Amino acid sequence: MSEDQNQQGDGRQLFCRVITPERVIYDGEADMVIARIADGDIGVLVDHQPIVSTVEIGAVRINQDDERHVFATSDGFFKVSENLVQVLVEEAVPAGEIDVDEAENRVEEAENELSEVSEDADDEGEGERQRNEIERRRKIGENMARVAREHGEG
Amino acid sequence: MSLQDLKRQIQSVNNTAKMTQALQTISAVKLQRARERLDRVRPYTDNIDEMMRDIANRAQSDTPLLGGRDELNNVAICTVTSDRGLAGGFNAHVLRRTMELRQEQDANIVQVVTGRKAREFFKFSKVPVEEAFIGFSDSPTYEKAREIGRHLTQLFEDEEADEVYLVYNRFKNALVQQPTAVRLLPVAQEETDEENGENEEENGSNIPLEFIPGPEELLDRLVPKYVETLIFRALVESAAGEHGARMSAMKSASDSANEMSEELTMKMNKMRQAAITAEIIEIASAAEALGG
Repeated sequence: MSEDQNQQGDGRQLFCRVITPERVIYDGEADMVIARIADGDIGVLVDHQPIVSTVEIGAVRINQDDERHVFATSDGFFKVSENLVQVLVEEAVPAGEIDVDEAENRVEEAENELSEVSEDADDEGEGERQRNEIERRRKIGENMARVAREHGEG
Repeated sequence: MSLQDLKRQIQSVNNTAKMTQALQTISAVKLQRARERLDRVRPYTDNIDEMMRDIANRAQSDTPLLGGRDELNNVAICTVTSDRGLAGGFNAHVLRRTMELRQEQDANIVQVVTGRKAREFFKFSKVPVEEAFIGFSDSPTYEKAREIGRHLTQLFEDEEADEVYLVYNRFKNALVQQPTAVRLLPVAQEETDEENGENEEENGSNIPLEFIPGPEELLDRLVPKYVETLIFRALVESAAGEHGARMSAMKSASDSANEMSEELTMKMNKMRQAAITAEIIEIASAAEALGG
């Protein structure tokens, strides 16, 4: 059966790699890759035109045969070229492996820090930067918890 | 020196050898782990690198992040060392490279360091350190690289630095680390500009990449990430180098301790033999005197 499928579309096959600084999280064939890039959601099929873009904090979904792999990711970059989709993000966790408690802790911690920073922010630029950084951490935690709830069981 | 003193000395040398051997073994294990980590880090850093080149070649941007500034008033140098010593010339080499780089500059120098050894060194040489990141040299996380990267990019954006360099020990193999200086900002363009012009067109026609949003906007987001990535790679290489350097430093320490222990044992045996011989001569000559 797999041979027949490989014959499809002149034997061309889409591949996907989800890469973080620490390791390659996913590396394999894909029928379709769905992600949220700079101008909205994108679904990449085989022979997609080459693009370079960013990915937002959210979920990357990979459909392969009957399987569906979902990853909660931080923000990063997205590249399609020669039937290879590469997702370069600092953090990516398979939906089934997310520790919801830990994700919620991260949100809580970030919220606490955020209230502290806004209280004693005398330096305008520096305070702003710190807030953005903490806000980003909060969003990543929130996203992990959400992805785990929506896609976790499996 | 008495026999007792010698015995004590041998004991102490043996203890030192045991300790250095243990450290050598630990370093070998840590080196192995650091090397594996270096391999795991590569796919990400290589891809960010490639993406940077793709975009930099096509962006019609006059951002100083790429092209630099006309006036060079301040130069930031970030030196990567280890937190702990006992690693032979590991830190000395990278610090010497830093001093060379400092002397080559015509501008004010903003010195940033990672690792306790660099902080101590500059404190001792009375060079002001703008910021020190310490406590992670033997297993750096991406989070740390991010922190350092943001700090350095910020220095550049606030015009407190017009160029930013990173000096670190590049990991060649377990025995060799090469002190290396790279420019982080403005992003180093490909070396051969003229040749590149041709290649660019060729590449461009082969794979017409679409940039969403435009290359300029992507560049603004990619450059800080690129800087973080280079730093992360440098920290991981430096960590591997640190363990490698410590392993070989400890090996030669163990070797010379063992050698010294052998020499001292030999000396002790001779001394004991001499003492016994002297006693025998005494007894023999006493007997001769009595019998004679």
